[in-house]
Amino acid sequence: MKLRDIISPFYAWKRAFEKPFTIMRPRTDREGAPAYRGFHINDLGKCVGCGTCEAICQNAAIDMVELPGQETKRGDSGLRPSIDYGRCCWCALCVDVCPTASLGMSNEYNWISDDGEDWVFVPGGDQKPWDMSEKGYRTTDESWLIEPVRASMRFVEPDVRKKNFDEMMLGYTTEAALEEAARCIECGLCIEACPTHMDVPQYIKAIRDGELEEGLRILYDTNPFSESCGRVCTAHCETACPVGAQGRPLAIRWLKRYITDNTLDIRDSILETEDIPATGKKVAIIGAGPAGLTAGFYLAHYGHEVRVFEQQDKPGGMLLSGIPEYRLPDEVLAREIKVIEDAGVEIKTGVRVGKDISARQILDDYDAVFVSVGAQIGTDMPVEGSDLPAVHIGLDFLDRISKGERPDIGKKTIVVGGGNTAMDVARSALRLGSEVEVVYRRSRKEMPANAEEVEEAMEEGVEFNFLTTPEKMTEQGGRLHLTCRRMRLGEPDSSGRRRPEAIEGSEFTIEADTCVMAIGQKVEDEVAREAGIKLDKWGNFEADQERMTTSIDGVFAGGDCETGPDDAVGAIGTGKKAAWSINEYLSGR
Amino acid sequence: MDRQQGDKIRKQPDLMPVRETRDPWYPVWTERPSFDLSSGKYLKIWQGPQHPGITGNMALELTLEGDIVVDAKTHVGYLHRGFEKLMERRKYIQCFPIVCRICVPEPDYNEYLFAAAAEELAGIEIPEKARWLRALTLEMIRIASLVMGLGGQGGSFGLGTVGQWAIAHRDYILDLFEELSGHRIYHMYIIPGGVRGDLPDGFEDRTEAVLKKIEKLIYDLEKVLFDNAVIKSRSQGLGVIPASWVEPFGITGTNARGTGIANDVRKDTPYLIYDQLDFNVITGGRSDAYERSLLRKEEILMSIDLIRQIFKRMPKDGPVRVKLPNVLHWRIPPGETYVRAETGRGEMGYYMVSDGSGYPRRVHVRGASYTHAMSLLEHLAVGISIADVGGLAVSLQTCPPEIER
Amino acid sequence: MKDTIDKIRSMFDGGDADEKREDLVFVTVPATQVVDCLGYLRDRAGYRHLVMISAVDYIERGVFQLTYLLHSYEKQNDIGIRADIGRDDASMDSIHRLWAAAQVYQRELREMFGIDFPGSPRVDEPMLLEGWEGIPPMRRDFDTKKYSEETFFPREGRKTADPATHMAEKNYASEEQVKRSVKDLVRGRRKRKGNDG
Repeated sequence: MKLRDIISPFYAWKRAFEKPFTIMRPRTDREGAPAYRGFHINDLGKCVGCGTCEAICQNAAIDMVELPGQETKRGDSGLRPSIDYGRCCWCALCVDVCPTASLGMSNEYNWISDDGEDWVFVPGGDQKPWDMSEKGYRTTDESWLIEPVRASMRFVEPDVRKKNFDEMMLGYTTEAALEEAARCIECGLCIEACPTHMDVPQYIKAIRDGELEEGLRILYDTNPFSESCGRVCTAHCETACPVGAQGRPLAIRWLKRYITDNTLDIRDSILETEDIPATGKKVAIIGAGPAGLTAGFYLAHYGHEVRVFEQQDKPGGMLLSGIPEYRLPDEVLAREIKVIEDAGVEIKTGVRVGKDISARQILDDYDAVFVSVGAQIGTDMPVEGSDLPAVHIGLDFLDRISKGERPDIGKKTIVVGGGNTAMDVARSALRLGSEVEVVYRRSRKEMPANAEEVEEAMEEGVEFNFLTTPEKMTEQGGRLHLTCRRMRLGEPDSSGRRRPEAIEGSEFTIEADTCVMAIGQKVEDEVAREAGIKLDKWGNFEADQERMTTSIDGVFAGGDCETGPDDAVGAIGTGKKAAWSINEYLSGR
Repeated sequence: MDRQQGDKIRKQPDLMPVRETRDPWYPVWTERPSFDLSSGKYLKIWQGPQHPGITGNMALELTLEGDIVVDAKTHVGYLHRGFEKLMERRKYIQCFPIVCRICVPEPDYNEYLFAAAAEELAGIEIPEKARWLRALTLEMIRIASLVMGLGGQGGSFGLGTVGQWAIAHRDYILDLFEELSGHRIYHMYIIPGGVRGDLPDGFEDRTEAVLKKIEKLIYDLEKVLFDNAVIKSRSQGLGVIPASWVEPFGITGTNARGTGIANDVRKDTPYLIYDQLDFNVITGGRSDAYERSLLRKEEILMSIDLIRQIFKRMPKDGPVRVKLPNVLHWRIPPGETYVRAETGRGEMGYYMVSDGSGYPRRVHVRGASYTHAMSLLEHLAVGISIADVGGLAVSLQTCPPEIER
Repeated sequence: MKDTIDKIRSMFDGGDADEKREDLVFVTVPATQVVDCLGYLRDRAGYRHLVMISAVDYIERGVFQLTYLLHSYEKQNDIGIRADIGRDDASMDSIHRLWAAAQVYQRELREMFGIDFPGSPRVDEPMLLEGWEGIPPMRRDFDTKKYSEETFFPREGRKTADPATHMAEKNYASEEQVKRSVKDLVRGRRKRKGNDG
């Protein structure tokens, strides 16, 4: 024992006069670090209620609850996360996984409440003092757990594809499909957006699990045109996908196509039905488009005898005539329709109701009739010169091309319109060897065509003339002269799009060889007139939204002829609904 | 290879001779000697689970003859949370917030080892900068844990003052963690794929300021704790671990290095960036409670040096995290692995088995205290005074949470 | 390490080596050979540090896989010895005579997995499960969620909704009904295949 060992500990006394380590009273609040993981905040406007936070929470602290003022709408479930602070461990995985980046954490960590129920609350919904806090934990690009980039699709280069009508998208490889399928957060917001409510998360899961057979079964549960939809669907689901809020939405359409492409050889055996007991009831369907054939497919499953009348030589409706081959090859459609025929649907082509067989006779001969004649008449523009021979209607133009015609349209083509048809026309014209310029009266943002299509058209070299409308067309020296006027955008109209207004004195002239009007289509009312079915003020068939019944007992209507010009998947949705409703009707319910 | 090659600690205190031991490979009683309590000669008392002299929620069942312990049994089971079982029901990413809770003083090791095991099975390489940042947090928390351990050592011998100093200084480190990770105790900073964020601006300067404070604390501790007649007389010769026990008991960390064996995972099988740092394993030789404290003090200084090296050599830019596949569906190919790291208490390791699903099939957490407290302590406690049992338990750095995962 | 693995194969009927890293190899040996093999590794091959003993419940195969992990400080590498034992009346030879530390691991395995190690000191003394009557809790068939639901009580008044279901109820209830009915119809009509669930 040394003396030093006895004296040395007294060194501790030097601290006797220092400021104590203990906290002073009255207590002063100390602010948390700038990135502190404190109490939750949620931007209710950005949150879409996808429930991914609930899925990742390992403590089961998060519930998805209804909140007054939050509406259930396209791409928003209307639910909002409620957090139980009795369970939360503040790991912030919910923040890192939030696809819309609406969830965050403030750096606030002091909160006193005697009431235990206070500790279950909806961030952003129940007012809290820290709601406006700028500081605290937020996800960054690096810590974000969502993959914002799509797996890339193989496609034909624009320079090559613009020279022919071959299919341009080549489909996902297995690797890319798995990568893309892994991005799905399984929220199911897409199901609502789909007119036929396909079970999207389920078939994407089937891809991840490598169970493509099950995937195909899931597809055919709701949609007998899955292969075509995998190529040309307008994909409302992708608009609703929350991953799209901060990145690119899931490529749902391409994943669907991956399933159908990779189950071609076993499709028949997977979808093979047992002998369906016949009910003895007969159903006639007028029009072999997506709506009619979908209805036929499911009606056949019910055991009814189904006969489809089609005026054209081939079934398919707008899928055949309205969509060019580079997007949807004929053989794809043909093999898909074969599945429907195999299910027991009889398709009579080349029969025009009203000419070859009267509507009245059909009504008499069949127990139920489903009218799905579509909206086949392309409208033109009431401008001077629209009757010139070099001016075409978009739908007729596409129809001619789909029948194999390759008309000579000269060196320069003007396409008027900004919808999907306009894009199809423009890109088809390009493939016929013409230069193409699209004239549209609003700006790119307001174009009703799919953004992807516009992008692809631009890649291929289609020129765009936005905020322009044709005023007059004349023929001078074998060429077409279009007098156009510039437009500007005014106040939004009832559809929410800003109304274009003409700018005085902005006239200019474009020279071209051909002009195609792709500005709208309407329903042919021949069947309606003959059978006495009521039409609404837009000239569409009037039908009940739930049961698809028309003004005549036993007659149902669906597809474009009922909804007005719409996309294929919308028609499929009404076709499926009609099949169910017709069966209810035939069963006396 | 000569295992006795580590740096000797600077101070060689006055020492008592090492006790003779039983058969080195088999120092366990097959039949415990039985003590007839009704004879009145023996007394059985429980130390813990609520007892200030015990490191956390565990208990020692002591049989005494007078003041002297003649039999000791460790009892655990007071904070079993079943993490290993819970992990079997959670996706890999969902395990990440719970693993840190296995150990309070050093949560980052759990985060690192879980992440490293998952990354190894999944075949993920993490960015260079993340490796440095991981090492930085591991060294920071090692200091926090060792500082607290030293304070506890003083407290267990009745010197509460250093306990207060230690806890206060640990809080300075926790302030740094709060800034870096967003939380003080359970940082959840090391995530599979890297770390959650880069250093905040000016973090190096603030860390340096804290390191200076710790160095000053060490200076104070040398005077008050180590040059202390009471501490010396009570801890020198207490709980001597014979070198021959190291392997049979699986002793690691400072407890093993106290015997003079230079076992240090950071040096033996370098993980992260430890192969790029300059340091020498510090060993003792006398292997008693006093020397283990000295070693820990030296290791704090060593960690301070390592942190400075890390700041100096760390890449300034670059990613800190790789993108994982969607964690909601993240599956890890089948396989099993074991990864280890050197914590302040010794070797900690994660044995992870994957069956190819999205959930770990089995995770076994190997904590250093498992053998230190469960079998070694029982043997070391025999023959010492009841007053020293607390000091002995602290000197082994036992941590019940890692016994009961 | 390769020599050691070869030795284990030839002397103790070891199976294929599963090399995880340069310094970590797992080898499967028959359960009856484990103690001899571990003794050999400890005394002849330098693997003197018992890192851990653990068990994995492969309930689908009806076995427990015991893993003994040994470390050699000289060679700086690890060998994991794996052995399968039957799940019914699971029992294994004790290695507490090889490593003093082993008895704690064996006690825990006895308690948590129900694997007996006859002769191991205090092996029947529970660490925490005094008065436990259920199956050993670390076994795969022990349902922690069920146990927790039976033992504890949830906070009252909490309810949650699935976004997809909620949207169906709110926005397209009748169409959802149609969808389900049509789905059931189509599924019911399809030919049953061998692997159809």
